[in-house]
Amino acid sequence: MPIQRSPAPLRRGIVKLWFALDAIVALAPPLYWAADGRTTPIAGIPAALFYFLAVSLCITASLIAAYVLDATDEGVAA
Amino acid sequence: MIITFGLLALFFASVVGVLQRNRTVDQSFTDYAVGGRSFGARYQAMSFLNTWYPGSMFTAFGALSVTAGVMSFYVLSYSLLTVVLLFVLARPVWIWGKAYDLRTQGDLFALRYGSRHIRTVAALIGIVSGLPWLVLGMQALGNLFQAMSLGTLSFSTSVVVGVLVIALRQVWTVRMGMRGVVISDYLQGIVAYIGGGLMLVGLIVWLMVARGSTLGTLDPKMFAIPSFGSKEGPLYLFALMFTGALGGWCWPYIFVRLFTADGVRSLKKSAALAVPLTFLFGIALLIFGMLASKVPEAVAKPDDVWFIVSHQAGGLVLLGLAGVVLLAASMGHTDGNIQAYGAQLANDLVGNYVRLEQRQMIVIAKVGMLLLTLLASWLATLTLPALFSLAVLAYQGIIQLSIPQFLGIFWRRGNRQGAFAGMILGFVTAVGLEVAFGGHLPFGYGLTSGCFGLAVNLLVYVACAYLLPHSAEEQRRVDDLFTVIDANREGRVAVTPQGRPAMA
Repeated sequence: MPIQRSPAPLRRGIVKLWFALDAIVALAPPLYWAADGRTTPIAGIPAALFYFLAVSLCITASLIAAYVLDATDEGVAA
Repeated sequence: MIITFGLLALFFASVVGVLQRNRTVDQSFTDYAVGGRSFGARYQAMSFLNTWYPGSMFTAFGALSVTAGVMSFYVLSYSLLTVVLLFVLARPVWIWGKAYDLRTQGDLFALRYGSRHIRTVAALIGIVSGLPWLVLGMQALGNLFQAMSLGTLSFSTSVVVGVLVIALRQVWTVRMGMRGVVISDYLQGIVAYIGGGLMLVGLIVWLMVARGSTLGTLDPKMFAIPSFGSKEGPLYLFALMFTGALGGWCWPYIFVRLFTADGVRSLKKSAALAVPLTFLFGIALLIFGMLASKVPEAVAKPDDVWFIVSHQAGGLVLLGLAGVVLLAASMGHTDGNIQAYGAQLANDLVGNYVRLEQRQMIVIAKVGMLLLTLLASWLATLTLPALFSLAVLAYQGIIQLSIPQFLGIFWRRGNRQGAFAGMILGFVTAVGLEVAFGGHLPFGYGLTSGCFGLAVNLLVYVACAYLLPHSAEEQRRVDDLFTVIDANREGRVAVTPQGRPAMA
């Protein structure tokens, strides 16, 4: 049975990097230490809250992008 | 009370009606334990959410956002990372599940490490760690029924009523197994997270307009995050998020979601569907809690913030709907728990040592679920002051499954000696530190005992992998497992059933 390789390794690489970035921005303590207690508004939102919202948005976007790219790969391979 | 309890009764009857309409006779234990691997992306997404977010999201995490503010967003960060892991795990786990007819988390351990005894260890850790959470979930219903009675029922009576309702609900979980769990999760998930999310948006608007509570008016302390100088320690939040994200997939009732889908595609699509729902629901809940910190009644009883604000904003009808939302979330979590543990009792404990026919496995799983429901119901009616501490301790223990689980799935070199020794030493380290220091390690900078257990676990696992290399035969067996994944990449080539391998 032939092994079918992904037609788009670059896209897979981007997704892996983005997932790694998700882990870094969510977990790296210096980032949340920097946000500690900051109420200065960024886009009208207190900075500490903005940090968590930005992290959440980054993770959400990465997963949707991963799914779209994955579906594209499948379409190309079909 | 007629309005609030009437709405609850109506919702309960709807769920039972849906389940009755979808009753089928399971032909095999695979049908009963993983719903015949037949569910598409939408069912998978709702089933994941309904099991992942328990009713205590509205009580415990609602309360945390009222009292601790922005720090409570850690739950959203690790929940989203857990969905990312769903996407990452989808392909290897589903393919092994389909190819080797895996039905439980313990089955995957046994397959990967070629040992049936590791199935027992994983199942025992899962069941023992999960029981306190099951009991806590039942007890949380006490808050619900007390609020629905408008304070007429005492808390202890409310707990008993809650336990009776959730125990009655388990009749259909026992009868229908995983198929019943996933089908009901779909309805319960829509009510809890889409309906509940819309309610949260409405309540946020009400808090801003009617109570004048905006982000700009909140106490600056609401934006504090544990850092240097905090009593929790600077690494506390990291420890919560890291162990939370890794630990999510260690719970047997979450892990089994990887086996219920009809393919890799559905699993990945379910992650893409679940992630925006998780994002929007989480943000709405936590911002609602923060804004509710301006409501004195909510500050006085933060666990009841969901009910207090709903009642104030929309009277008895909205209070009743708040109860329906919380009941939907609680039922999904509890039935997922009980189903998974029942399947483990039959498959990983009894079936691991006694040869059983398919029908016998189903009967044992049903009896196991019944006994577990009765045990948890009884415990929930007792006053157990150490239960929450035990539940927190259990979390530090169950994440010790993560090292052999994740590395076993993605790294060929790991072996059964490392898996056994790593898990056990990691567990002992975590429990030992908890016992010695009572939950706060003076040298940990906020790291929890589970983190130190994980470090020991990882060290032992990797050391065993390099110091005790696979025999040629074992290497061939492990290579064959990974070849099955490569050959079925992306599910584009049909997964060929391989038969259940013999175990040491």
